[in-house]
Amino acid sequence: MDSSNLIDKTEIKSEIEDKINSYDLILKKLEILSKKVSSFLKSSCVKDGRVSSSLLEKVQYKSHGYAWFETYRISLRELLQWYKRLSSTNKNSPLDALVLAGGFSEYLMQIKNGIMMSQSEIIRPEDLGLTSEDFSFFNEENFSEVINYGLSEDVKNEIVKYLCQGNFPSLGLGDETLEMIQDQFKKFTDEEIIPEANEWHLADKLIPDEILSKMSDLGVFSIAIPEEYGGLGMGKVAMCVVTEELSRGFLAAGSLGTRAEIAGELIRLGGTEEQKQKYLPKIASGETLTTAVFTEPNTGSDLGSLSTRAVLNDEEYTINGNKTWITHGARSDLMTVLARTNSDEKGYKGLSMFLVEKPRGNCENPFPMDGMSGSEIEVLGYRGMKEYEIALDNIKVSKKNLLGEKEGMGFKQLMETFESARIQTAARAVGVAQSALDISLQYAKDRSQFGKPIVEFQRIAMKLALMVIETSIARQITLFSAREKDNDERCDIEAGMAKLLAARVAWSVADSGLQIHGGNGYALEYPISRVLCDARILNIFEGAAEIQAQIVAKGLLGRD
Amino acid sequence: MKALVCVKRVIDYNVKIRVKADKTGVETENVKMSMNPFDEIAVEEAVKMKEKGILNEIVVLSIGSESSQETIRSGLAMGGDRGILVKTTSDLEPLNVAKVISKIVEKEKPEIIIMGKQAIDDDSNQTGQMLAQICNLSQATFASKVEKNGEKFDVTREIDGGLETISVELPCIITTDLRLNEPRYASLPNIMKAKQKKIEQIDVGSFGLNLESRLEIIEVNDPPERKPGIMVQDVEELIGKLKSEAKVLS
Repeated sequence: MDSSNLIDKTEIKSEIEDKINSYDLILKKLEILSKKVSSFLKSSCVKDGRVSSSLLEKVQYKSHGYAWFETYRISLRELLQWYKRLSSTNKNSPLDALVLAGGFSEYLMQIKNGIMMSQSEIIRPEDLGLTSEDFSFFNEENFSEVINYGLSEDVKNEIVKYLCQGNFPSLGLGDETLEMIQDQFKKFTDEEIIPEANEWHLADKLIPDEILSKMSDLGVFSIAIPEEYGGLGMGKVAMCVVTEELSRGFLAAGSLGTRAEIAGELIRLGGTEEQKQKYLPKIASGETLTTAVFTEPNTGSDLGSLSTRAVLNDEEYTINGNKTWITHGARSDLMTVLARTNSDEKGYKGLSMFLVEKPRGNCENPFPMDGMSGSEIEVLGYRGMKEYEIALDNIKVSKKNLLGEKEGMGFKQLMETFESARIQTAARAVGVAQSALDISLQYAKDRSQFGKPIVEFQRIAMKLALMVIETSIARQITLFSAREKDNDERCDIEAGMAKLLAARVAWSVADSGLQIHGGNGYALEYPISRVLCDARILNIFEGAAEIQAQIVAKGLLGRD
Repeated sequence: MKALVCVKRVIDYNVKIRVKADKTGVETENVKMSMNPFDEIAVEEAVKMKEKGILNEIVVLSIGSESSQETIRSGLAMGGDRGILVKTTSDLEPLNVAKVISKIVEKEKPEIIIMGKQAIDDDSNQTGQMLAQICNLSQATFASKVEKNGEKFDVTREIDGGLETISVELPCIITTDLRLNEPRYASLPNIMKAKQKKIEQIDVGSFGLNLESRLEIIEVNDPPERKPGIMVQDVEELIGKLKSEAKVLS
């Protein structure tokens, strides 16, 4: 590195130090705007002091826009917090400073001119009852300078320069143990998963048993399970760190833990002591693999309309119904089945959750159990666990396998796991985004056209800069929601925001990454084509983007 | 039997090294640091020996700043039992490192001392040998296989001519080569356990050693930049270039 760069380095950091005060003030301004948007929407959807679902539906587009507005605001707040924490321990790098500046300006400009809810739906300030007057502070001298700095090509060029030298923004975990966990799982992913992932995808194979058992040994399935039940009780931040790393290698690898997470949380929060003793230690050790059996052919996001029935005769329930999108349905030992126990209750209240044991199947014989049959659903991406549509025909299960041994609690029990599942899914999305970034950066450095590496062309460099900026923002709002959860703060809205943003970011980063690859990216042999297919699911599962925005909007409007 | 495993904190092997502008050394600010890979192999070997029942205690030693605790902690997460950090802010050269370790050897009296054959930062490959001299211990360097044989260890060494197997008496020093084993990943349960393990801190000054430097680094430079490759159109052009430019064919 030459000496002029060294001067730049300290300059970049001090440049940002001067701007931090402005960022704080801008966030205060956004808070005022947020209140204005909130009351604008409340005027059309609050009736008798409560948010009316039917009125809210009439302003669905705008209210979802509000969810995105708030997601951006909270993301920027957390991006700034991330930088401040790094700075207070002197661990902030010049690249961190550039990402902060770039991120702030990009997202502020979107807030002012239109936020991309998806690549075709843009929410504009006017939709939210804001006028150009509300954004006049953008023109105040100190703010306009700060915003223009972050928008400048210089900032993005510098970011890419650092990327090309092998630097990435700090994760800002701020904890030696978490850093060690990240380090170990990064190594594991680099050595054991990345070299194989594309082959698993192309052959549409299950992740090999050998990898599964290595993951069990590393403790992947025991993270969230309390120590008294054989787990590690480590919390959500640790879960995010592990999940992001594994997903960076292969989405399904990061998603194996989700299954343990959902079943583990269901049993931990809703199970009887006996159920916890019986199942949690085996889930923690990886001996019992679980699968979530909730969705039905006619019941996706609207779980209240679920029709699978469970009927009690003496000591046994008999379950009948069709289920679909059963991930890892064959190679699993325990199903968490949501079924209707009270047919008089048409909505959520009639639902109960069952713990149904089953023999583990394989690809040739997926469901070696009487009364259970099914077929594979072939999919674009998210391979490695396989998806199934299954039929449950007179499946008998003991009363003792009703979760919590109490009927009618199924939906509530499931709801309680949503926060964790959304945070975990946001971390999966961040991992996928990082993977697209890693792969595409390498390609842009290696691929030469017109006599130089393509990374030296502006359109490629700008893409990479935005990819790293948005991935960092998504990561920080994800880690924020995880910390909130670990501190026992209610964080359903924040978890929803993290999932909402991270999924969109993963998709756009993967898409830009493929674009950087040009025609090669469209070839199956290049891993970016897989990453694109994998990224597409993130906006759909664990609450589609529209459902997620709905939950966030409703939560926000109902909160104050 | 007790083992002392020496680990060094170095720039992570994945990091692209950058030379400081004033050529006094390399950039370490905001650079990822890790355990020297050869030392990781040393820790792994000790943990394997403990699993086989050959050892009953593994002490992980590092010399360096406060941050070297992290490196010791990684060793403990792999299976070490306790740690010792000898604190110093200065960069010690191999002879001085060996002198410091010899003081820990006097104190701990390990039967076996395992360390990487070299550290990937300065590539000295001297500490183990110097320590053997200072402590008057048997040494087996460049170990690619270690087996206990009665009261001795049979150590296979990778040498120019092939493999050499020697038998060493205890106490001994073993320095590890790349192919000795594949270090394990620290599992989450072991990372959590490592948090509870003790790391004793000793100030280097307390040994009363003369640690004056005998070496002086005059200048550190980047290796010469590699010229970019070219794409050839066909085999004929390739052979032509191999003959005329690379001159590897005639």
